[in-house]
Amino acid sequence: MSIEVKDIHFWYGKIKALDGINLNLPKGAIGLLGPNGAGKSTLIRILLGFLYPHRGEGRILGYDIKTQQHMIRRYVGYMPEDDCAIPGMDAVSFTCYLGELSGMPHQEAMKRAHEVLFYVGLEESRYRMLETYSRGMRQRLKLAQAIVHDPKLIFLDEPSSGLDPHGRKEILELIMDISSKKDIQVLISSHILSDIEATCSHVVILNKGRIVTEGEMNVLKQIRYNLYEMKIKGESAEYFRKLQEMQCKVDYLDDGIWKVYMPPEMNSQEIFRLAVEERVQIRYFMKSQTSLEDLFAKAVGIEG
Amino acid sequence: MTIKEKGYAHWDGKLQEKRFPWFPITRLGIKLAFKKKYFKFLFSMTLIPAIIYLAGIYLSERLEDFRFMISESAPFIKITPAYFKSYYTNDFILFMIVMIMVFAGAGLISDDLKYNALQLYFSRPLSKKDYIFGKASVIVFFMFIVTIIPGVVFFIMKLIFSGSFKFLIDYPWLILSIFGYSLILIAFFSFYTLFLSSLSKNRRYVTVLIFGLYVFSDILYGILYENFHNYYFSLLSIKCNIKQIGAYIFNQNRPLPVPWIYSFLVLLFICVVAGIILNKRIRGVEIVK
Repeated sequence: MSIEVKDIHFWYGKIKALDGINLNLPKGAIGLLGPNGAGKSTLIRILLGFLYPHRGEGRILGYDIKTQQHMIRRYVGYMPEDDCAIPGMDAVSFTCYLGELSGMPHQEAMKRAHEVLFYVGLEESRYRMLETYSRGMRQRLKLAQAIVHDPKLIFLDEPSSGLDPHGRKEILELIMDISSKKDIQVLISSHILSDIEATCSHVVILNKGRIVTEGEMNVLKQIRYNLYEMKIKGESAEYFRKLQEMQCKVDYLDDGIWKVYMPPEMNSQEIFRLAVEERVQIRYFMKSQTSLEDLFAKAVGIEG
Repeated sequence: MTIKEKGYAHWDGKLQEKRFPWFPITRLGIKLAFKKKYFKFLFSMTLIPAIIYLAGIYLSERLEDFRFMISESAPFIKITPAYFKSYYTNDFILFMIVMIMVFAGAGLISDDLKYNALQLYFSRPLSKKDYIFGKASVIVFFMFIVTIIPGVVFFIMKLIFSGSFKFLIDYPWLILSIFGYSLILIAFFSFYTLFLSSLSKNRRYVTVLIFGLYVFSDILYGILYENFHNYYFSLLSIKCNIKQIGAYIFNQNRPLPVPWIYSFLVLLFICVVAGIILNKRIRGVEIVK
């Protein structure tokens, strides 16, 4: 396991940011999801070794997060969310410089800088000054600097934020390509659920400093609950109220279609039995393919 | 097939534990300073006094060769510690050092704050100490060229031109004075510039601060002295404090009747306060928002 943390607690003054986080993440692409204030950034800070947890312990790539932060940063790549650059440099010098700071020899860093800039699609503009780069180019450049030293673990913070659909697709393809290498682990923190869904095999959902859901994407989407879509005719308010009393979560989708999240132990026949009792007609009923959005809404909603 | 088509490729080298991890920061800082408009011109101007003083040393030893150019009554140039002190504490040199700080030092940290570059540095295996040391070394580099190198060259040239070791025997402590005074100057201006550079994300404000504080402190001393006729107000002036220390280190009469140690303590106090604030302003924890 590349990322192992145990019982991590962290406070900002009196505010508890992380409350007993336990993670044991496998290789591959991992999505870190959660609403604002959930503790995602704090967790990344601790994983990168910038913050010292008040309680708990952990190891990243086998290095202790409390005592070996230097080693962690040597083998980890980080793509920050904010725009960041060093003015007065072109992309090649910038990428080479950050490679050198990671511990690469100058000549090697320069060669590798050219390679990664080609890889992220900045080959034509690699000698342009960074100040002239567009938002999309800067995102690619941030990815290039994160991978220049060939890290074993990459943290990507909102990698597609601010990109147009085409640019977003390209960045996601690059991330998928990187994470397809079996020996590289990618941790993506994003609020764009479809990005996580498209790129990650494993997901961790945080809320209020706690892990509310964690596991393989496919397993979580299929096993943790059953999702049905339905259209009804009749007095819906009382019917849905009673469904909610039975621990179901009901959301209105559109076009008269309702989504019903049903606990796994509940039989779908109960929905029909209740409909008969409440004298409503079910005009459409279908087991739905769940999305990460459903999982997120359910996890955060129920726990919240 | 291009790398883009081939997909992500590993680097087959090995990351090294570097002995001086801050060195690329220094190299970049120097490179970016020389890229600035007018900096090369300004820096070459800073070396003019060194050339003039060097010429003075040459003339003092070879005066007979140039006797036809000067009148009989012209005073001889005497090379003594006072000559060295006058180089190191002359207003032009101090002013040009401040100008170098403005051009090469103002943006060292403020640009990183403005462009969120700190998170890029601290996501690398760099400590805060490495970062500050790397930035300070940019200032050290320029100060070294303006202070230690000319002093050492003057000293060696004096020995060469005179063809004897008499100067070394007469003033064996002078070379230590050159190093001691230069190191104090380098340390003070490094703290002073980096501290002010860390105060703002706007390089122009920092420029005004670096230049303004140096000039204003001297003006303030002038105003207070005119009103109260007390030399101790000179402790408020950066320039006066530097000159006092310079006079002591080169074993010359102090320009003002104020103990040199007070001036030293004032500069030391500024360095300590600057170091503490610098340490607080540059925090690795802020790198992830």
